[in-house]
Amino acid sequence: MSDAAQIRFRAATEESPAARWTLIALAFAGLAILVFAPLIAVFVEALAEGVTASLKSLASPDARDAIRLTLTIAAISVPLNAVFGIAAAWFITKFDFRGKAFLITLIDLPFSVSPVVAGLCIVLMFGANSALGGWLVAQGYPIVFAMPGIILATMFVTFPFVARELIPVMIEQGRAEEEAALTLGASGWRVFWTVTLPNIRWALLYGVLLCNARAMGEFGAVSVVSGKIRGQTATMPTTIEMQYQEYLSVAAFSLAAVLALLALVTLLLKTALEIRHADQLAAAHRH
Amino acid sequence: MHIEIDEISKQFGTTAALHPVSLAIPSGALVALLGPSGSGKTTLLRILGGLEFPSSGRVLFDGRDATGLSVQERRAGFVFQSYALFRHMTVFDNIAYGLNARPRATRPTKAEIARRVTKLLDLIQLPEIGARYPSQLSGGQRQRVALARALAIEPRMLLLDEPFGALDAKVRKELRQGLRDIHDTTGLTTVFVTHDQDEAMELADLVVVMSMGRIEQIGKPQDIRARPATPFVRDFIGA
Amino acid sequence: MGRPFIHRSPMPGLGVSMGITLTMLSLVVLLPIGALLLKGANFGLAGIWDTVNRERVWAALFLSFRLSLLAALFNLVFGVLLAWVLVRYRFPGRRILDAAVDLPFALPTAVAGISLTALYAPNGAFGQIAAEIGWKIAYTQWGIFIALVFVGLPFVTRTVQPVVEEIEREVEEASATLGASRLHTLRHVILPMLTPAALTGFALSLARAVGEYGSVIFIAGNIPLVTEIAPLLIIIQLEEFNYDAAAAIGIAMLLISFAMLLVINLIQIWSRRRIGYV
Repeated sequence: MSDAAQIRFRAATEESPAARWTLIALAFAGLAILVFAPLIAVFVEALAEGVTASLKSLASPDARDAIRLTLTIAAISVPLNAVFGIAAAWFITKFDFRGKAFLITLIDLPFSVSPVVAGLCIVLMFGANSALGGWLVAQGYPIVFAMPGIILATMFVTFPFVARELIPVMIEQGRAEEEAALTLGASGWRVFWTVTLPNIRWALLYGVLLCNARAMGEFGAVSVVSGKIRGQTATMPTTIEMQYQEYLSVAAFSLAAVLALLALVTLLLKTALEIRHADQLAAAHRH
Repeated sequence: MHIEIDEISKQFGTTAALHPVSLAIPSGALVALLGPSGSGKTTLLRILGGLEFPSSGRVLFDGRDATGLSVQERRAGFVFQSYALFRHMTVFDNIAYGLNARPRATRPTKAEIARRVTKLLDLIQLPEIGARYPSQLSGGQRQRVALARALAIEPRMLLLDEPFGALDAKVRKELRQGLRDIHDTTGLTTVFVTHDQDEAMELADLVVVMSMGRIEQIGKPQDIRARPATPFVRDFIGA
Repeated sequence: MGRPFIHRSPMPGLGVSMGITLTMLSLVVLLPIGALLLKGANFGLAGIWDTVNRERVWAALFLSFRLSLLAALFNLVFGVLLAWVLVRYRFPGRRILDAAVDLPFALPTAVAGISLTALYAPNGAFGQIAAEIGWKIAYTQWGIFIALVFVGLPFVTRTVQPVVEEIEREVEEASATLGASRLHTLRHVILPMLTPAALTGFALSLARAVGEYGSVIFIAGNIPLVTEIAPLLIIIQLEEFNYDAAAAIGIAMLLISFAMLLVINLIQIWSRRRIGYV
């Protein structure tokens, strides 16, 4: 009699162990070379002359100005984009109107426009040699080569992040809870603060997180509009470029390491959200 | 083909899905595995098809030990509860799939495959739908296509998991007769799983009543009705 | 009587949400893009053509597009592999791999740029190894290729992953009961199911690569006609205050982006029609 337990069975929906481990090994090797190596290289280069040299370069006026500017830009553009994302998601999911698909395509547009082209658009619209830009400069409100331009460029490239995260979640949640609250006599704002916002808070945080990471790290669009004036319009990424080109490797990589840490924290929080609040995120992030 | 199940058991972790069960299915029979959900009937069917492997015991096909045969080697025509049609293929390609998947040496010619698919479409009385995609079919049509696809590989037996489960009452009645007719034409040993005692009693030659991983009674429909062997069987078929 | 433009709804906040949405969309996105198109219209089709139709511009556009295509192809294959491994297999470190896929989204492009350059430069960790076999990576087209693979890495994996999760086990089992080997099932049942999502990811990865600037310029070497990418040309024209030329190249790139956006939408419509899902 054959003892079934002695025979090694493989389920019909599995690959052979050899194939499985080969694929896993390829995944590890690929990500090690493509992703982990550059990440580690940032920290290795930053600490090439020791921790003190690295910290000293971060305390330099250039670095401090850049960090301050980048934080300011993010503190302005991210909340604005969050407001836009909430408004757009509300408009799109709570009302039925013609051209909804087209509106969504327009909101997604910045994802498929090169950041450099985005910066170019802003220069052409608000630059000193455009009609509007010339008038604004004459009034003493320059946009390009100044803070407003950097904020606009940052908002352009991060524009879809919050809306894209909220729209699928709000479609899935439907309108029933809001309708119930309305029948109970709640005002519009009350419905939003007490019913909608608690339901979308994790998805909102998720979108804000990604928006912030991109906002602090944006380079292409900001390079075009900022003019890279030290102490005035040089953000962290543009300062990294300038220091790197001046062969200040430790300084450039130390600033880069700060941004890399920010990226790691973003990924950590994002993964935590995906694990703990999967049911309240867009379906594509549940895994 | 004569099927013999010899002291088959199945453990999932610490829970026993099947206590050792034994059953002989005569060649050409139409057998129903009847029981509530969790009775082990689907597990037993999947063990016959080679989709699940027993923790102990043997399966014999025509007296030969088939326990270690892979699912591909078993040549069991399996119809899934969800039908599991390939959505990206036409009905024609779905039915031809098993023939196209054969190694080159034993693969029929294109013309021969086309001939066989056409014949099967006639058998399931849907000769016109070869070019359609599964998403364009009704539930009843999908079930018949799944049956034709299983028959295309010239199976040694036909295994069906709740073949009428996803259909409404009217279509279900029609398709019952369809399955009976196909069984009678092909003469294949056929095992189907159901939780519907009317379906089992009306369609099967032999009914196997299962509960909690055990076989409660094996018998002809009229015998089970007349003489239920256990209180469970009495309750279940009386319901 | 036609369909109303906006259906009456008991929901509050129509005016506020529509107002904010349309105002901000116009101010931040539509008007600036409009300014570019207006500039192009003033400049005229002939003017745009004259600017673009130069050896250096063609070389840059062709280089950007060709290397982006190759990088997206690499990401197509590796991305499908990653999606499969991450969804189907359980192994130590899976969560970390899964999170790492998103690093190129989270890491600023300038950081990636200088770090890849440090790795692949002739005196870098990988560059030294390559140099021993006489292979120069940084400051050649290989360097651009690697940077573009990096920035496009997450797209295919992230579009394919949910589709792999949704494959019903019964479909694979059905294929096996019909006698198909595992390889045959993978090739004829599973791969076709993943194709639409994989193509969407491929197109997104391609679109991202064509416009990429930050991660590329450090490693590219930026030699005209050889390793000069299209976005860099725009920057060069702007630094010379040559706004017409910058606008012309920008419009050419915008058209390429729109064409790709159209292709992505067509793929989705096609797959939805044919199989009933994306």
